[in-house]
Amino acid sequence: MVSTTGEGAVPSYGGRTGEQSSSRRTRTEARREGILFVLFMLPNAVLFGLFTYWPMIENVRLSTQRWDMISPIRLGIGLENYRYLLRDGTFHRVLLNTGYFTVAAVGFSLLLGLVVALLLNQPLRFRDGARAVVFAPTLLSGAAIGIVWSYIFDPRYGLLAQVLGWVGIGSPDWLNRPEWSMPAIIIVYVWKNLGFAAVIFLAGLQAIPRDLYDAAKVDGANPWWRFRSVTLPMLSPITFFLLVTSILNTFQAFDIIRVMTQGGPADATNTLIYYVYEQGFVALNAGRSAAASLVLFVLMMIVTLVQLRFTEDRVHYG
Amino acid sequence: MEEGHHAMSNRLNRRSLIKGAAGTAVGAAALGVSKRSKAFAAPTVIQETGSQVKVVFWSAFGGKNGEVEQELIRRFNESQQDVVVEYQFQGTYEETAQKVIAALQARQAPDLAVLSEANWFRFYANNYLAAMDELIAAEELDTADYVESFLTEGQRQDQQWWMSFARSTPLFYYNKQMWAEAGLPDRGPETYTEFAEWGPKLVKKNGNDVSQWGFLHAPATDYISWYHQGTVWAFDGAYSDEEFNVRLAEPNSVKSGEWLRSTVDAGWATASQDRTTDFINGISASMMQSTGQLANLKANAPFEFGAAFLPSEVNPGCPTGGAGMGILSTSPAEKQQAAFKYIAFATSPEITTFWSQNTGYMPVRKSASESPEMQTFYETNPNFRTAVEQLATTKPQDPARRFVPAGDSIIGKGLEELTVNRAEVQPTFEKIKGTLEEEAKPILEQVEAIEG
Repeated sequence: MVSTTGEGAVPSYGGRTGEQSSSRRTRTEARREGILFVLFMLPNAVLFGLFTYWPMIENVRLSTQRWDMISPIRLGIGLENYRYLLRDGTFHRVLLNTGYFTVAAVGFSLLLGLVVALLLNQPLRFRDGARAVVFAPTLLSGAAIGIVWSYIFDPRYGLLAQVLGWVGIGSPDWLNRPEWSMPAIIIVYVWKNLGFAAVIFLAGLQAIPRDLYDAAKVDGANPWWRFRSVTLPMLSPITFFLLVTSILNTFQAFDIIRVMTQGGPADATNTLIYYVYEQGFVALNAGRSAAASLVLFVLMMIVTLVQLRFTEDRVHYG
Repeated sequence: MEEGHHAMSNRLNRRSLIKGAAGTAVGAAALGVSKRSKAFAAPTVIQETGSQVKVVFWSAFGGKNGEVEQELIRRFNESQQDVVVEYQFQGTYEETAQKVIAALQARQAPDLAVLSEANWFRFYANNYLAAMDELIAAEELDTADYVESFLTEGQRQDQQWWMSFARSTPLFYYNKQMWAEAGLPDRGPETYTEFAEWGPKLVKKNGNDVSQWGFLHAPATDYISWYHQGTVWAFDGAYSDEEFNVRLAEPNSVKSGEWLRSTVDAGWATASQDRTTDFINGISASMMQSTGQLANLKANAPFEFGAAFLPSEVNPGCPTGGAGMGILSTSPAEKQQAAFKYIAFATSPEITTFWSQNTGYMPVRKSASESPEMQTFYETNPNFRTAVEQLATTKPQDPARRFVPAGDSIIGKGLEELTVNRAEVQPTFEKIKGTLEEEAKPILEQVEAIEG
C-alpha cells in the first residue's frame, strides 16, 4: 500500500483581502510560509528519503550488479540479472506460484470474510465474543501460527487428520506433497487473514443505512434480493479496499512459508517474496535478489495504480 | 484505521528487506580492499592489562547439542580468568553464516563463529578469516594429535584457517524392531542394491495410505545433497572433481540418481520435510542422518535403533560434514588470541571426549577417541563407535558442494526433483550441472585472485 499522506500543498488562507498589502509584504509572507513548509516537511522527507527512497535507488543499482554480499568487489553486469530471471525455470515457477497463491488466498479471505461478517452482523448470542475470536488470528505472529499448523497438518497425529477421519476421509500428506503444500499454506493464510476481512466487512455492513433495507422490503424484495441489490453494492468500496490491501499483503506473505515449507517441497510453495529472500540470503546473489524484488515492486505498483484509477472512477462510495 | 497495524507490519518486512540489501551493499563498497594482510590491520591492544577479554561467539547448535555447548562455555569461563566467551545462538549453519555475512557489512561481526564445512571457504575467499598458525604456536597446540583429515580440511596455502570441532558423517539409522518384523538381519544394508531388495519388505500399508515407509529422503533444506554425496561416490560418480569440473551428468553419477528415483518409483521411500521426527514416531523404518543427531535420537526414540555405515555399491561412499570454528579477521589481535584460547579448550582431549559422548559428533583428537574413557563408552554405546569406524572410508565432499555458493541448495533442489516429482534423471542432472558451472565462475575468479 503506497502511502498517500498529505502531499505538501502550501496551505492558503483565504482571509487576506489584499487591501493595502504591498507586494513586498506578500513576498515576505510567502517566503515565511515556504520556510515553514520546508520545516514541517523536513523530518518526514529526510526519514522517507533515508529509509525508503535511497534504499530503493540503491536496490535498482544493485540489480545491475553481481555481488555475493560478502566480497569487496561488486561487478557491474548491466541487465544480466534480469536476463537470468527471464530464463530461470525456477523464477517462472515462482511467478505461477505467486499467482496461484494470491488468487486463492485473496479470494477465499474475502469470500469467507464476507460470510463471517454477515453472520456476526446478526443479533446472535455471544456475538461480541465470536467477533474477538474471529479477529484474534490476525494479531498472532505468523511464525508461531506456522509452527502450530505444522502440527495440525501432520497426516497421522494432526488435528486435521482427526477431523477428516471423523468424516471418513484420509488426510493428505500436506507438507510433503507438492500438490498439497500450497493448499496447506493457503488454508493457514486464509485462517490468519479472514478475521481482518470480516471486521472490515462488518464495519461496512453496519454503515449501510437501515432505511435502504426498509425501502427494499416495502418493494417486496426477499432477503436474497436485498443482499444483491442493497448490501453488495453498498459494500463495493469496502470490497475494493480489501481486495487491494489483501493482494498487496499476500504478495508479501513470507513468515508462514518460511516456517512451514521453506518454499518446498521442490519449490511448490516458492513465491516471489520467498524467492527474493532465497536468492539474497541463501544463494547470496544480492543482484538477482534485487532484480526479483524490483519485479515484485512493479507488480505492487501496478495494483496500486489500478486501485487509484478505480477508486476515482467506478466504486460507489455510499 | 484497524488495518493500520496489519498493513504496516507487512510493509515493514518488505522495506527492511530491501533496505538491508542496499545497506550492506554500501558497506562492502566502503571496504573496497582485497589484500589480506593490509585489509584489516587490527589494533594490537584494546584492553588494559589484567582485564578480561570478551569474545563474542556465534554458534549454530540448537536443542540438546546447544545445551552441551553452553556447558562447554561455562566450563571454559570458569577454568580461567583472562577470557570471557559470550555465547550467542544464531540458528542453523546456514542461518549463522548468513548472519555473519550481514554482520560483517554492518561492522558488527562476532570474534568467533561456528562455520560449517560448506560455509567457511566463502569467508576465507573474501579475507574474512584470521590465519591461525601463529595462534596455534602461541597455545603450543599439539596438532599431531588432531585427526589429520579434519585438520587439513581447514588449511589453504599451508595455513590453518578453520579448526574442526563438531565433525560428522552421515549414518544409516534403522529401527531394529521394524527390521526384525521384516525378517531382516540386524545390520544396515551393505549395498544400495541390497537396500532396494529390503525396502519393499519394510513398507506397511493401510488401504492406499502408507503407515510405515521403508526409508525417508531428506529435503533440499536439510542437506539431501550431503547424503547423496555418499551415494554418488558409491556408484563411482561424483558431483565434481577437485578442479571444479562438474561430473554429475556422467553415466555413473546418473546411476546414483536412478537409484534415488527408483526408491520412490517402487513405493518404499518418499521425501519428508522432517524425517527425524517421522523416524522417532515410527513412520519410517530407516533414514540417513548426521552422527550429530545420535545423542538426540538416543534421548528421544522410544525404540531400539541401530546406526550403520552408509551402503556401498561399487565403492564405499561417505562424506565428512559438520562444522568447525573460524576467527574473524575483523576482530582485534587480542580478541583473536582470546578466541583461539577457546578453540584450544573446546578441542582439548578432555572436552572433545565430553562433547563427543554427549552429542555424537566425532572426536577430533586421536587421544580422545583412544582414551580408556571413550573406549568404555563405545562398549556400552556401540552406535557411537560406528561413525569413528566409518571415518576410514570418508573423505571431504566434492568442491561443487563445498565451495560453490549455494552449491548445497542447487544440488539439493535438483535431487528433490527426483524424490518429490520423480523427474527424469539425466536431464535433471544436466540442468544441475549447468547451474553449478555458472555459479562456480565467480568463486573461481576469487580464489585465483587470492591464491594466484
